[in-house]
Amino acid sequence: MSNHDEPDLKPTPGARATALLKRPDVARTAVFTIIWTAIFVVLGLVFYPKWMPTIMSTDMKAMERIMVAFTVISAPIAGLVMGIATQAVTNRHKGDTPPPDGPAIRTNGPVVVVWSLVSGIFALVAVVWGIAELNTMANAATTDAKEAIHVQVIGSQWVWSFKYVDQGVESDKLILPIDRPVEFDVTSEDVNHSFWPVQLGVKVDANKLQTTTVHTVPNKLGAIDVKCAELCGLYHAYMETSGEVVTEDNFKNWVTANGGHNA
Amino acid sequence: MTTLHNTSTHSRPIPNPAKSLITKLNMGTGTVVGILFALGAYYALRPAADAANFYNQQNKALLAGMFAWSIGFLVGIGAFIGPFRWLIGKDLTAEEQLYLAGDGQGIKRYFKYCTDHKVVGIQYLVGVMAMLGVGGTMAMMIRTSLAIPGGHFVGATIYNSLVGLHGITMIIAMIIVATGPFGNYIMPIMIGARDMAFPRLNALSWWVLFTAIPVLCSAWFLGGIPTGWTAYAPLSVQAGPGMNAFIATIIIFAFSTAVAGMNITATVVAMRAKGMKWNRVPIFVIGATMSVALAIPAFPTFMLAMVQTATDRVFNTGFYDANVGGSGWLYAHLFWIMGHPEVYVILLPGVAILMEIAPVFVRKPLFSFNAAVMGFAGIAGLSVLVWAHHMYISGWTPTLNGPFMVTTEMISVPTGLLFLVLLGTIWRGKPWMKLPMLALFAVIWNLLIGGITGIYLSDVPADNYLHGSMYVTAHFHYTLMGAALTGAVAGLAYWFPKMTGRMLNERAGYISFWFTQIGFQILFLGMFIAGAEGQPRRVVSFAAMYKYQNMISTGGAYLVGTGFIILLWAVIHSWRKGDIAPQNPWGAKTLEWTVPYPVPLENFDELPVITSDPYGYGKGN
Repeated sequence: MSNHDEPDLKPTPGARATALLKRPDVARTAVFTIIWTAIFVVLGLVFYPKWMPTIMSTDMKAMERIMVAFTVISAPIAGLVMGIATQAVTNRHKGDTPPPDGPAIRTNGPVVVVWSLVSGIFALVAVVWGIAELNTMANAATTDAKEAIHVQVIGSQWVWSFKYVDQGVESDKLILPIDRPVEFDVTSEDVNHSFWPVQLGVKVDANKLQTTTVHTVPNKLGAIDVKCAELCGLYHAYMETSGEVVTEDNFKNWVTANGGHNA
Repeated sequence: MTTLHNTSTHSRPIPNPAKSLITKLNMGTGTVVGILFALGAYYALRPAADAANFYNQQNKALLAGMFAWSIGFLVGIGAFIGPFRWLIGKDLTAEEQLYLAGDGQGIKRYFKYCTDHKVVGIQYLVGVMAMLGVGGTMAMMIRTSLAIPGGHFVGATIYNSLVGLHGITMIIAMIIVATGPFGNYIMPIMIGARDMAFPRLNALSWWVLFTAIPVLCSAWFLGGIPTGWTAYAPLSVQAGPGMNAFIATIIIFAFSTAVAGMNITATVVAMRAKGMKWNRVPIFVIGATMSVALAIPAFPTFMLAMVQTATDRVFNTGFYDANVGGSGWLYAHLFWIMGHPEVYVILLPGVAILMEIAPVFVRKPLFSFNAAVMGFAGIAGLSVLVWAHHMYISGWTPTLNGPFMVTTEMISVPTGLLFLVLLGTIWRGKPWMKLPMLALFAVIWNLLIGGITGIYLSDVPADNYLHGSMYVTAHFHYTLMGAALTGAVAGLAYWFPKMTGRMLNERAGYISFWFTQIGFQILFLGMFIAGAEGQPRRVVSFAAMYKYQNMISTGGAYLVGTGFIILLWAVIHSWRKGDIAPQNPWGAKTLEWTVPYPVPLENFDELPVITSDPYGYGKGN
């Protein structure tokens, strides 16, 4: 609402920004926003990596990168949301009668536009990042196809078994050589299961009479937990086995010891 | 909201069409006829113990019995008297119709086929609280079982049943938690209508839903369900007799939702007061209508999925049986085409309640009504295009993961608008910290966590790891429980004075709020960590490395349980003995606060005429 008694002098954008920041509620909101943003950044940088299991493949690394990066990128937005909310809580009204009327702000066009743009850009970053990762994974699966070892994974109520097609070995433990691409061809003998070698960061459902495929490259020696991630009946919780990423030599020895032949 | 007419009450004579059958029918007669129908159908189809295809025949008999119960109950309560009269070219007499509205019949009308939208609203409220109580008790049993590794509290059969029945009970309760009680009781008054567009359908929607409750409970006596609430085939096809109860519940519930959804939508489209243009409709009405309108196309696919499961089980049709050319993926698609819109069916009314509350408690107009409508519409529109993000790792056409990732992450834009509306409304205001307003702040936090964790999950590489883990469980509890249920509790505290004539006990309300919210954060923080560390969901037993996380979760769960018991006490105590509420305790401007308690039959003596939106708070307005 303009006041017609005074000349219509519009303040410059810079002056308006300065005046805005000097308002006590805005200043408080800014402080709370910074504090909350810092909390979310610490959560992303420190706690997520701490909670994740040992990273034993490129896919697991990509997964952890996404968790950390998205938390850090979204931290300022989440921080602003919590900053505004915290500021409002500090400015609360107590008592049994309603508070005095506030300013009658019906809308604010630029704020709505900027807010939508920022959340749109954030969504775009997430989408582009995700598609780039998908692309990397798909390319890796294609280029690695020749040298990959093929493991047929069979889920049945409630055990996993593994057939090393090229080596002619069957096992109930998942033994993989380090730094060699592996393609899991997964199927089920009965209901749906979901093959989850936890530390490798990949997962795919096992369906009866279908073969689903997932690819990864183990790049760290150590133990793997293999679990089922799809409720598959009575003993779903116990449908797990162990595995190990071993050196190439140890893998060959293991194949020979189990009656297989090294290609 | 500005109205040109005041309302007053005047007493009517109590109708008494003594000779009519309808005066003699109630829940009791419905139950008796329902049980007779059920027993008749079951024993007519019951297979001999040595019959070939015994299990198919048994499934057929059980399903027939359950549907017969539902139909028999509706016959016995008189739901079909009107339609039957239409067949012979008549209708209920005017006196009978007035009798069905239940005016002056006291507490009895809550047990009858009553067409008054306020009675239906209270029936829904009590029904929802009962279902939340049952679902919550099952949650407590699940968490008790998970308190220590090894799962010694219940066995695997019972545990799996608990997981599935907790899930479906809560999903059904949460779908109706806001649109049932408030959509029926408050919304018609809010838009200045005398009742719903189709009062008899309104009564039908409640009593159809009611018949689903005993059917669902019967699952326990038939051996439980092993599938979780997602009921994936082929596990569901080979499951025991308890699965029939699940199937019948979903089919019956889908009828109820369709009837209620069409009725609410028709009411809002056609029955608004004179002058209530679309930009003057209270935002709760917009959000609730979008929610039920979204449910209308969503639920039939779930119903279809269940019909096919049933025919697979009874007639060996093999829709989901790979041996004969069927596919479990077909089931997963049908399920999630319902399943993802469904979470927004649950979320939208909860957020809409908070948008209704915020202007009243900060005395400022709703910030950007248009952004709120665009947010709701954007979510409703996108939500039908995102279902396959539940199937990233199913192995079904991995090339389509990219497009579904795009649609899923786009949902963060309209969701952001909902945040903007809430934050813009409280910006520069002095929030009046009553229970509904406290809940609003809790929802901002919970929905923020639920939303951001949803963005990780929507990204395929992250989902490759997180899918099917406890992380997902924690994520959707933040949205459905932390946001939607807290929003519904805010609505209960806000509209309690209008629905019961008494104020909700404030102290008990605050204590309950802090117990539930603090407990909730502890409960699901533990679950987030266990999930990130690799604990699968729906497991009766877990490795020792998840010991502390699960113990913490269980501790949090007990706090939540305590909080809800306190809330239940507060509701019962306040309903009976609470302080008498003034007509408009919050100083709100929507129409429901212009009518007295008890709200007279047909709500208004003279229908109001609307000249502005209901958010004219603030200086200079």
